[in-house]
Amino acid sequence: MKRVRYALVVLNTVSTGGLLPSAAARVERDASVNGTIRGRVEIRQALPDLARRPNVGDVAMPRAHDSTDRRRSVVYLETAPRAAFDQREEPRPKLDQRNETFVPHVLAIVAGTTVDFPNNDQTYHNVFSFSATQPFDLGRYPPGGRFKSIKFDRPGIVRVFCDIHSHMSAFILVFAHRHFSVTDDEGHYRLDNVPPGTYTVIAWNEAAPSESKRVVIPESGGDVETNFSLGRR
Amino acid sequence: MWRSLVVVSVLALCGAPAAAQTLPSTPVTALDGRLVVGAEVVATYGDPDNITFFNYTDYEHNTLRMFRAALAASWRPTSRIDVVGEVRSEDLGQVRPYAAYLRVRPWSGRPFDVQVGRIPPTFGAFGRRGYQVSDNPFIGYPLSYQYLTSIRSDAVPATVADLIVMRSRGWRTTYPIGSTDPAPGLPLVSTFRWDTGIQGHWEGRKVDLTGSVTTGTLSDPRVSENNGGKQVSGRVALRPIYGLILGASAARGDFIASNVKRRLSNPDGPYAQTALGADAEYSRDHWLVRGELVWSRWNLPIAAEPTPRDLDALGSWVEGRYRLTPRIFVAARVDRLGFSRVEVGPGFNPTWDARVKRVEVDSGYYIQRNLVARVAVQYNDREGGRIRKRTYFSGQLAFWF
Repeated sequence: MKRVRYALVVLNTVSTGGLLPSAAARVERDASVNGTIRGRVEIRQALPDLARRPNVGDVAMPRAHDSTDRRRSVVYLETAPRAAFDQREEPRPKLDQRNETFVPHVLAIVAGTTVDFPNNDQTYHNVFSFSATQPFDLGRYPPGGRFKSIKFDRPGIVRVFCDIHSHMSAFILVFAHRHFSVTDDEGHYRLDNVPPGTYTVIAWNEAAPSESKRVVIPESGGDVETNFSLGRR
Repeated sequence: MWRSLVVVSVLALCGAPAAAQTLPSTPVTALDGRLVVGAEVVATYGDPDNITFFNYTDYEHNTLRMFRAALAASWRPTSRIDVVGEVRSEDLGQVRPYAAYLRVRPWSGRPFDVQVGRIPPTFGAFGRRGYQVSDNPFIGYPLSYQYLTSIRSDAVPATVADLIVMRSRGWRTTYPIGSTDPAPGLPLVSTFRWDTGIQGHWEGRKVDLTGSVTTGTLSDPRVSENNGGKQVSGRVALRPIYGLILGASAARGDFIASNVKRRLSNPDGPYAQTALGADAEYSRDHWLVRGELVWSRWNLPIAAEPTPRDLDALGSWVEGRYRLTPRIFVAARVDRLGFSRVEVGPGFNPTWDARVKRVEVDSGYYIQRNLVARVAVQYNDREGGRIRKRTYFSGQLAFWF
């Protein structure tokens, strides 16, 4: 019988303006068959694109920039099984800069992951963050060729900006475990390999307060569907 | 009264940390994103300066002791038309339009734009960005773009002695021909008022070309005509490698008002301001270095003389900014403004205005990405006037969205 441990995840959420419970709670459960939590996150209110600040000093029509996909949400477990905390080699995701936009707009990673910041645009960018989780300033570097990287060791939310283009922003959510999922184009998410038990599932979006729901994975495992609706009607 | 309001504003902005984090950080949009509105509030508090006037502007305000608020908007009714405007108020005074123009891209496939109205300056680089707190690491301004010389467009000296008497008194100049009211003189290039006219701009991959025809001149931008003349100005900018911009500018326009010209023996002149400029910017990693050179010649009529005098001025400055940490930066600027000599009498040929040197060192801290606190120490050295050297300390809180 496999014994698994659970621990609470500490995650600062700027959008909710407060801290999630930080006390560690260790619960031992027997695991038999792992299940899946899946569903859809609906964003009720229309999210306007990030606009370029009007600069009356421009002598030319400002270059069009790509739209920022602000519908992306992140769904994660507030408590996670022990296996979710195992150290392993993580792939290196990229937060690209293209057409004056960060791609992707929302990135979710495990603590200890190194993120690359290539500049595949046609202009300089200066990527930085003031977040307490991981402040950094990559400085100005040109497109193509050598790019810069940052290792994110602490869980939390990192808000990323460009010092030159004020309309550029992105979010990096750093988790201590692996049970998280970024929604797809339709708002769907999927959390696999969740052992039987009772969990609090949280849906986060930059433009709305987070919502949490209680989910039970039965001893027989299987799929559990949980949907979220974020934002004002 | 304005001082109390500045203090209140500073305290309000710096209130609880939670308040700072909830200040708007992005411009306001409407009409499906076609209308974008941004604002800027800057409170600067420094030593008073009612004796030396080193940092006075052409609006008779002190750049080191000012409360400024600006509201900017851009409306894009179609993909090839922008309507752009900005209004400003200094020291809670009258709200004035700073920019108001229509921008048109005649051919969607070509990077050529035409702007008509109260347009951004064509000449140099600082004039278009210097007033933007987000892109200017300093509290003070370059001498070429702010320091008031003893030249006026609405009044001229009767003799060269009248001109020399006004050395280092550009903040309040008086001449007998034309308007006899004391008034501030003109800077080499005014950054606190924009000119009115039409401007064309071509943006290539490595080269930008800008040209304009406007009502006023570099030193005296105007909305309404005062002398029947126009200014022609142009700039070429090269971007040979990423991070490097090299620019060269030229401008020429009639600057003396018609009612003054009518009182001269040669009313036709020409009485022009001619200017040449060079600018450069390089940035890489955490460094940003900029510099400009501005040469200006005014053909100034002296009422008692048959031909105008050529009065030259040369302004040059270099500045650098370095980001020490994500939130903290330091910056320094070295600046000089010199003037040519005029023959007054045998063996007496002083400069027509007093040479000024300035060194400024600033440091800033980003409380949040659109809220910055700065402190500065600025040293000025002038070759004339009652007080020739002065050091100022100032602090600034700037917010924008």
